[in-house]
Amino acid sequence: MDLSRRGFLQGAGALSLAVTLGCGSKGAARIRHADQTGELAANLYITVKPDGRIALIVNKAEIGQGVSTGYTTLVAEELGVPLDQVDFTFAGADPAMRVSFNVQITGGSTSTKEGFQILRHAAASAREMLVAAAAATWNVPASECTVAGDRMLHVVSKREAGYGELTKFAAHQAVPGKPKLKPVKEFTLIGKTNRRVDGRAKVDDCAVYGIDVKVPGMVHATMIHGPTYGARPDVISADAARKRPGVIDIFAIKAGVAVVAENYWQAIAAAREVSVTWKQGATVGLDTEKLRAAMRDYDDEDGIATRESGNAGKALGNAATKVSAIYEAPYLAHAPLEPQNCTVSVTGGKAEVWAPTQSPTLVQAFVAHAIGGEADNVVVNTTLSGGGFGRRAGPDVCAQAAAIAKRVKRPVNLIWSREIDMTQAFYRPSYAVKLEGGLAADGHPTALRANCISQSIAMSSCEMMGMVLPGISRVLKSMVVDSMLAMFSSNSIGDLFAIEGLKDTPYQIANARLVATPVATKLPVATWRSVDNSVTGFAAEGFIDELAVAARQDPLAYRRKLVKDDSRQARVLDAEIAIAMTAEILAAVRATTGASLRTRPTIHGPR
Amino acid sequence: MKLNVNGKTAEDSVPPETPLLWVLREEVGLTGTKFGCGKALCGACTVHVDGLPKRSCVTAVGAVADKPILTIEGLASDTALHPVQQAWVEENVPQCGYCQAGQIMTCVALLKVKPKPTDTEIDDAMSANLCRCGTYPRIRKAVHRAAAALERSKDGPR
Repeated sequence: MDLSRRGFLQGAGALSLAVTLGCGSKGAARIRHADQTGELAANLYITVKPDGRIALIVNKAEIGQGVSTGYTTLVAEELGVPLDQVDFTFAGADPAMRVSFNVQITGGSTSTKEGFQILRHAAASAREMLVAAAAATWNVPASECTVAGDRMLHVVSKREAGYGELTKFAAHQAVPGKPKLKPVKEFTLIGKTNRRVDGRAKVDDCAVYGIDVKVPGMVHATMIHGPTYGARPDVISADAARKRPGVIDIFAIKAGVAVVAENYWQAIAAAREVSVTWKQGATVGLDTEKLRAAMRDYDDEDGIATRESGNAGKALGNAATKVSAIYEAPYLAHAPLEPQNCTVSVTGGKAEVWAPTQSPTLVQAFVAHAIGGEADNVVVNTTLSGGGFGRRAGPDVCAQAAAIAKRVKRPVNLIWSREIDMTQAFYRPSYAVKLEGGLAADGHPTALRANCISQSIAMSSCEMMGMVLPGISRVLKSMVVDSMLAMFSSNSIGDLFAIEGLKDTPYQIANARLVATPVATKLPVATWRSVDNSVTGFAAEGFIDELAVAARQDPLAYRRKLVKDDSRQARVLDAEIAIAMTAEILAAVRATTGASLRTRPTIHGPR
Repeated sequence: MKLNVNGKTAEDSVPPETPLLWVLREEVGLTGTKFGCGKALCGACTVHVDGLPKRSCVTAVGAVADKPILTIEGLASDTALHPVQQAWVEENVPQCGYCQAGQIMTCVALLKVKPKPTDTEIDDAMSANLCRCGTYPRIRKAVHRAAAALERSKDGPR
């Protein structure tokens, strides 16, 4: 991580363009310039303004997960200011902000884990520079200066100053190497339920999403894609469509046919009158039912054992009761409520992009590729996202918008219809999870054998990029694939082979064999909210229920016996058991007395 | 054609079959009303026409000329949020926020006809407004909070 001021200045171009949201004066979006005089531009992330307000650059996408609130909380905590004293903006593409997997990306549940250190350090560093400024101004040792809220005190001489009064002096202080963080026991904001900092902006029109961006001279576009993934347009018949009001141009780009008009509805209406014949893509002939049948056919031996303890085969042979099941799940699109969209302005080999994106770095690379320019010449403005769930890490829509803008020589706002959003997704893979369990005479599970049969997301990534962008450079391909692989090898995404969530199951079963069987299809698959857990969690918990039923035991109590006593899982289950018991008691009381007890079960325990 | 949006007159020159949604967003310049599906399935584009909630993505602008149209931009006064918006802030409802303009417009319409809705009545009225983040439990709480606030404001000074 580079928190130096040089790093900050390098990022300044992106900073001054960062799109923000805010309702300071009713409805007016604020654009903040970081290079005004008198500020303490303490580091890449934090600037203290002469009016005492804190400007925070969030290097992650706000896709509804609350990262703007989380990061604001970390900074406010460390600087001792209320949340509403911090103004946040979103970072554009900035190499200094590539803290995850060497790309700037929001994914893999990394934001809070990374920011928890980075932002507290950044804020503590700013605070120490303010302390040093106070000490220098008052000509006293820094150790005698104390901070109370956002006021600096020198108790002995009864002098004090606000952060804002010290910024211009603080800017001349050395950047601390190892700032001292606020001790956890002094936290007043972290770990509490605070009001979301973006909540107010999202109850009217203050919040600006990608789809709301307006650029002077902008025209609107929609796309027509082929009936199979990777299909290429062959013959385009658009004579009638071209004559419709407002239509500017209709032409082929690699991914399909672009329809450009003065406004969006004109483009949509014209697209309905365009007919296209297609060179079929690689997924032609792919059939859900055939694929399903093929997946059910795979055996334990076809896959890769990712965990093996004891001897599951032998234990299954010796089991008093055997249970087997197949859990299946379909391909799923991310379907964020804000359809994929992007606005691009191209001038020569340079471009400026406004996008709801989870990865400004990949936007930069894909747009540069689309216009035949260099990534460094692509400025990215990250907007709010109407949901993401992983989909907005794939910048295919930005590459399309860039190609269209280059051709029509005007800024283009490309919006996919919902139908395109669903059919041009990078899907959560479909799965067949085959499970076998063996129970002892007392119902205790002694053996578990699982085979997760699905497309491997990591293994599909390379091919997927080739499909979406044919002719894509090797450098770009490896960047995308490397970041995918790095995400999977991070501590947040279990492994490469779609068995995350099962491989690390907390249920203690002596003989376990957990197998992953990667299946290859030409359909692009990608990280979708919670990734493999969305299926393996369903399969594992469903199957434990089935084992409990076979053992004729209460499923909660059954689970409790299978987890380690001192584990988080044990605490969760104990709490659930307490709630269930309370509910049962209340129901019994109600049944016998007819009384309605207006009490709710409460959970007591360590936080 | 003349449109009456949030008490003001707006002019547009688009064909009458153009969906109201795109006229609001691109001609009138009010982008608080959102595009989600274009098929009246998700509710992100909900506005009021003549006081009733309408899916603007499938409402032809020609059908609503001269009728009063209320969008999310017209809810707050110059000095204060509408009680429903305020309840939304206080209950921390929005996550990504994209559906919330539609949710709020549907809620305002509901509370006009059912000032004290039950949970079931809230679900019946609101469940066709999709929230991909799943904020439904907080939406329900916020509807109750807004109902209580509106009731109080009727009883006396705010």
